[in-house]
Amino acid sequence: MHEKHLMICGATGCLSSGSHLVEQALVEELEKKGIRDKYRLVMGGCPGFCEVGPIIVIYPDEVFYCRLKPKDMAELVEKHLVDGEIVERLLYKGPDVDMPARFYDTIPFYAKQKFNVLRNSGIIDPESIDEYIMRGGYRAFTRALELEPAAICEEVKQAGLRGRGGAGFSTGLKWEFTNKAPGDKKYVVCNADEGDPGAFMDRSILEGDPHAILEGMLICGRAIGANEGYIYCRAEYPLAIKRLKLAIENAEAYGLLGENILGYGFNFKINIKEGAGAFVCGEETALLASIEGKRGMPRPRPPFPAQSGLFGKPTTINNVETLANIPLIVKEGGAADFARVGTEGSKGTKVFALAGKIRNTGLCEVPMGITIKEIIYDVGGGIKGGREFKAVQAGGPSGGCIPGELIDLPIDYDSLNQAGAIMGSGGLVVMDERTCMVDLARYFLSFTQKESCGKCTPCREGTKRMLEILNRISEGLGIAKDLDTLDSLAESIKDSSLCGLGQTCPNPVLSTIRYFRKEYEEHIDEKFCRAGVCKELFNYRIDEENCTGCTACVKACPTDAIRGEKKEPHEIIQELCTRCGSCLEKCRQECIMITPVGSEADVSN
Amino acid sequence: MDKFIDRCCEKCSHAKDNPCKDFISCCVEGPICHKNEICTGKRKAIIEKVALNEQFTIC
Repeated sequence: MHEKHLMICGATGCLSSGSHLVEQALVEELEKKGIRDKYRLVMGGCPGFCEVGPIIVIYPDEVFYCRLKPKDMAELVEKHLVDGEIVERLLYKGPDVDMPARFYDTIPFYAKQKFNVLRNSGIIDPESIDEYIMRGGYRAFTRALELEPAAICEEVKQAGLRGRGGAGFSTGLKWEFTNKAPGDKKYVVCNADEGDPGAFMDRSILEGDPHAILEGMLICGRAIGANEGYIYCRAEYPLAIKRLKLAIENAEAYGLLGENILGYGFNFKINIKEGAGAFVCGEETALLASIEGKRGMPRPRPPFPAQSGLFGKPTTINNVETLANIPLIVKEGGAADFARVGTEGSKGTKVFALAGKIRNTGLCEVPMGITIKEIIYDVGGGIKGGREFKAVQAGGPSGGCIPGELIDLPIDYDSLNQAGAIMGSGGLVVMDERTCMVDLARYFLSFTQKESCGKCTPCREGTKRMLEILNRISEGLGIAKDLDTLDSLAESIKDSSLCGLGQTCPNPVLSTIRYFRKEYEEHIDEKFCRAGVCKELFNYRIDEENCTGCTACVKACPTDAIRGEKKEPHEIIQELCTRCGSCLEKCRQECIMITPVGSEADVSN
Repeated sequence: MDKFIDRCCEKCSHAKDNPCKDFISCCVEGPICHKNEICTGKRKAIIEKVALNEQFTIC
């Protein structure tokens, strides 16, 4: 028996902020004191709160230590582990708590979350199959072996689970189509090709709870009559791949993968295919082509993969989060429990990756139907620097931009579609008043344009033309008819592109024009970028009345473009200014103004 | 018995090539095919080594 368990976040986010160095220092400290054996150290899955990593949670005390450095370990060991006192300075502190907070019960980030998919992340050692089994793992699969395949499909349908990777199609129905498709060889494919900028939900699930994915695939295999599965995972996720390989090895050793599993006569094997990082390979037919060793390009549907998928055989493709929900649904009474959470048309929870101008970046799992406001302010802690919330990009490059006036919108598949966005895989990029919506649309379109496979003309050429127009607008060369041209091109691309990537890539442009038309018009007609992003379309000026001459901006300016004596108002030499924004960041008096080129008027926010 | 896959005694027969239908529930609640306090204790010892709290094990 160990006296305490020290669960260190060993997911990619915390590793990149040095959790492995924290672990190393902790081990050294424990060994120095000769107490290493009293404690169990686990580099576990992600507890979600990436903003404050590296994180250690100590059980059974349930104390949550964050923003840790290797040098903190001596104090943590001495005070907490030896003397039994909590180290207050290493607890979570922030504007959303009155006093340093300990764990889930007192940290606002966790207050509105509900852990289904992330139920084991940070709780178990992801490299231990025994711990997954202790947490109820593989019980749903054992039950599925007792059920008729059609009954499993029916339970998944009854639960109301919709695909978590993009369009939100009914998972149970998808399984039923493959189940009914004729053929003695069928496949299950797990789409782990997470490609949206700012999204890392799938990576976190794979790193924190790989057996949940294997169990989801096994149940799917049983339901559709498949005996082989593939996990298509991007090669940029080495830790996820390492843990998946180990999980497969362990499941094989336990007789949970292979021939005659648990004596039910059911055979199943799982292969891993590493993707090379092309965004289009997240599209199901391109993904299948890539597994087959062909160039990752989509093909027209029908036939749908349920009829003719991998190697021409009936195939079900589900994404990581969808599969992670399956064991919860197929366990005894699971479908009803699952359906109790969420809205009428969107059941269960959704994992979101919070990124952008939000205070609490990280992963959160919330019930469907929660409002954008709750996610941004209650879970996300509001906007960085206390600025105004402007919009949120939901669903990645295929999604749309939801403006501040829709902040009370409940998040589910249908409401997001009506607002011009999509659920997508769950990326939420939050923007404040300093985000230019033209630039945002340009960023996402340049991403999809570069990632277009080039097979169909509307996507290949249409996105190029749209990007040219957006580039012109942000350089001050926009013309009056540009918005109509963008609109017409976008509609044509949506209507005529071959695959989901092309059909959805104009969404960021369409939604920003829909909600931020005035900002586009200001760029075109007044040659002004109010957010101070498009460098040709604004100047920085110093408000002489408020400037105290503190020289902070002078010191920050990399091109010596700011002149003025100490304690006297300063001035920006426009010819030297590169509009890098360093002065704006440093000025405590907020007297740096964003003004139209050639104007001295203060029109900034 | 260090892992659930290890046999608690000669009465346990689960192996990859001789699978037992009750294997998964047996890991936490077992042994199921026979009654033996020592075998129960062996499973409990595996769980106690890693259980973070009382709610850790889900049956």
